[in-house]
Amino acid sequence: MAEKTYSSNEVQLVVFKLGREEYGVSILQVQEIKRMTDITRVPHTPDYITGVINLRGSVLPVVDLKKRLNLPAQESTDHTRIIIVKIDEVIVGMVVDAVSEVLAIDQDHIESPDAVVGGVAANFISGVGKLDNRLLILLNLEMIIGISQDTKAS
Amino acid sequence: MDTNQYMGMFLEESREHLQTLNSCLLELENDPENLSVLDEIFRSAHTIKGMSATMGFTTIAELTHEMENVLDLLRKNQLKATHEIVDTVFKCVDTLEQLVENVASGNNAAIDIKSLIDKLTKLAKGEPVVSTEEIKSGERSKLLLNETEALIIKTAKGTGMQAFDIVVSLREGCLLKSARAYMVISALEELGEIIKAIPSTEDLEKEKFDHSFNVLLLTGADLDKIQQTVLSISEVEKVEVLLCEHIQNSNVAEVSSPAVIPETVITDIQSTKLEKPSQANQANTVEKKMKGGQSVRVDIDKLDSLLNLVGELVINKTRLEQIGITHRLADLVETIEQMDRVTTDLQAVVMKVRMVPVGQVFNRFPRMVRDLSRDLNKEVNLIIQGEETELDRTVIDEIGDPLVHLLRNAIDHGIEKPHERQAHGKNPIGEIRLIARHEGNNVIIIVEDDGKGINPDVIKQKAVDKGLISQTEADKMDSNDAVRLVFLPGFSTADVVTDVSGRGVGMDAVKNKIESLGGMVDVETKLNEGSKFKIRLPLTLAIIQALLVKICEEIYAIPLGSIDSTINVTPEDIKTIQNQEVILLRGQIIPIIRLAKVLGVPQTAETLQDELFVVIVHMGEHRAGIIVDNLIGQQEIVIKSLGKLLAGIKVIAGATILGNGQVALILDVGALMQYN
Repeated sequence: MAEKTYSSNEVQLVVFKLGREEYGVSILQVQEIKRMTDITRVPHTPDYITGVINLRGSVLPVVDLKKRLNLPAQESTDHTRIIIVKIDEVIVGMVVDAVSEVLAIDQDHIESPDAVVGGVAANFISGVGKLDNRLLILLNLEMIIGISQDTKAS
Repeated sequence: MDTNQYMGMFLEESREHLQTLNSCLLELENDPENLSVLDEIFRSAHTIKGMSATMGFTTIAELTHEMENVLDLLRKNQLKATHEIVDTVFKCVDTLEQLVENVASGNNAAIDIKSLIDKLTKLAKGEPVVSTEEIKSGERSKLLLNETEALIIKTAKGTGMQAFDIVVSLREGCLLKSARAYMVISALEELGEIIKAIPSTEDLEKEKFDHSFNVLLLTGADLDKIQQTVLSISEVEKVEVLLCEHIQNSNVAEVSSPAVIPETVITDIQSTKLEKPSQANQANTVEKKMKGGQSVRVDIDKLDSLLNLVGELVINKTRLEQIGITHRLADLVETIEQMDRVTTDLQAVVMKVRMVPVGQVFNRFPRMVRDLSRDLNKEVNLIIQGEETELDRTVIDEIGDPLVHLLRNAIDHGIEKPHERQAHGKNPIGEIRLIARHEGNNVIIIVEDDGKGINPDVIKQKAVDKGLISQTEADKMDSNDAVRLVFLPGFSTADVVTDVSGRGVGMDAVKNKIESLGGMVDVETKLNEGSKFKIRLPLTLAIIQALLVKICEEIYAIPLGSIDSTINVTPEDIKTIQNQEVILLRGQIIPIIRLAKVLGVPQTAETLQDELFVVIVHMGEHRAGIIVDNLIGQQEIVIKSLGKLLAGIKVIAGATILGNGQVALILDVGALMQYN
């Protein structure tokens, strides 16, 4: 990324991988990125909630993003990370396969989501970012974390 | 000036000072001569006045100012702290509380303070508002007249002149007070003769007065004329003119004595009289101020995060310990041992910081009991013991309402009317004791009254009538159990629903609240001797003792408070009754909960153990046995919430962080037993 000047039209994204697809969330929602740690399973929760972790003394729920988006599961590797995001005062961790970079993308290059993109239900997606020959799927975290809907046991 | 940033501080401090006012006024009511209490009241009122004026809350400032005038007179012994005055001041404090709460909630609703201010100014002039007590003791009225003055007034009256007591208030912030005062005095002198001024004219010239002063004027002019004259002078905020009849009357009798003492002597005596208490006041102030400077106000959230950080430190220390052991670094291990001691102390101190004396809750009760007993025409003496007993802040915040309920009940249902008490050969003044004390890891709070007690038969009958229990159940019940029926939802013993209590939501709400705090409540009663409610509360909600258990690879914590015992059984000991697994423990049938199944723990392999660990838990009267794979041990754990996203999971009460940094879940025993 040679360009260092950001126009007001640009958004900065944290880019991560789930399987072979690339996803992005706004950097403003990301609190920190953590290596994989012990996750304590919580009974009687939806299966996409992996459990809870200890983040410097507070207990945070962790969501398995691939399960949430109905992507094939995979063993965790050295690259597996937990992205800690804050949405509407709720702090949640998301398990992703790898975090690749932080980049800026112009608003004009973001298109509204089609009905189904990459097998993910459309209401989890807020847009698709086009960047040279790459496609970034931008996630609607409110929907994914389930704040705007009831977290029903599956 | 932007005052918003000080708002929190203003509210906190105002509430604190209002609380002080309340408790000191109560003290004053019992001991009207107590000057140091008066000083305390005066100081608190003064602080509120100053703060509210700075913050721009003029209504509060105005009311406190008027209140202060009356208090000042009390302090200078020119007024006596009668019931009437104390009542009025109490009303002022109530209004101030309301005003402060309005500020807190951003409610702009106007509260009428005019009638109160009128009352206060009347009191300030020594004029009775209701009672006649004041008139009888004429010398208590504000203007002290010596014989000469009284004689002048008397003779003047014959010539058609009248004496007026004039209170002139200068505008707050008036710069040349003495000049204004001089203008007022000279304007009044044109109308007639000034007999006396308080403070004296010399003091007025030297600006030795606050914002108001009194003048006793002998004049042929009428009230309106005087008022107009004074108000025409700029920077005069208010003037009150009063025909002083009663001062005259009471003094006229004395005038007949021919011994006329030179005036100078008398004023001298008076001034020394006044100075003495004020010197004592100053000494007192200094003492109080030194005491007051030793505490710091801290936001509870900050303490919470401090506690979190300390917890984190402990966890990291454990990790260092492990590194030291695995790499055999003797030096490191030694250092960590030192660190261990420091962190343990640190944790203890942080926990202690969170503790607050229950007095914080108790101190609002004397006022409540006083008002309530007056409303109900009962006489009640509230005795508070052990207010220094400390409880965690979180518990303190929650315990107030249940206690209010219990106290209200005690006054309304417990304590009888004075004549009934006398008929029973009891002291007509009822007694309610509010006692707090430590008992092991618990705090006990007792609310005890010496009233009529609870009649178990009446309770049983009520419960049957309301369909809460059946007649046969009632017949089998002993009196202790019968009395406990008051904790059932929908129970009320008052025949008539009063404002105070008896809506049938009382005791079960109390019980629920206390149980939600991890506590217990019980009642003992004796007919015609009184009732005793005993509340047992954990010291803190943040840290509990728990038993850590293992199920496969997962670790769970069971609160020790709900554990009876742990036993070992063999698989053969488990029988089934209607498909429900049970064990027999000392002749009692106890249902079994297989935790692995309830929690859906992924089983690695079907482990067939010869011996099973069973944790016997209880919730109220019910018991159950929880089967676990292994017992790890007892440990003090810090309770953490699972957060909004995971709220509402049954069987899990919260989470805690173990020494190795891992999260363990805390089981909700009550929910677990229902789940089964």
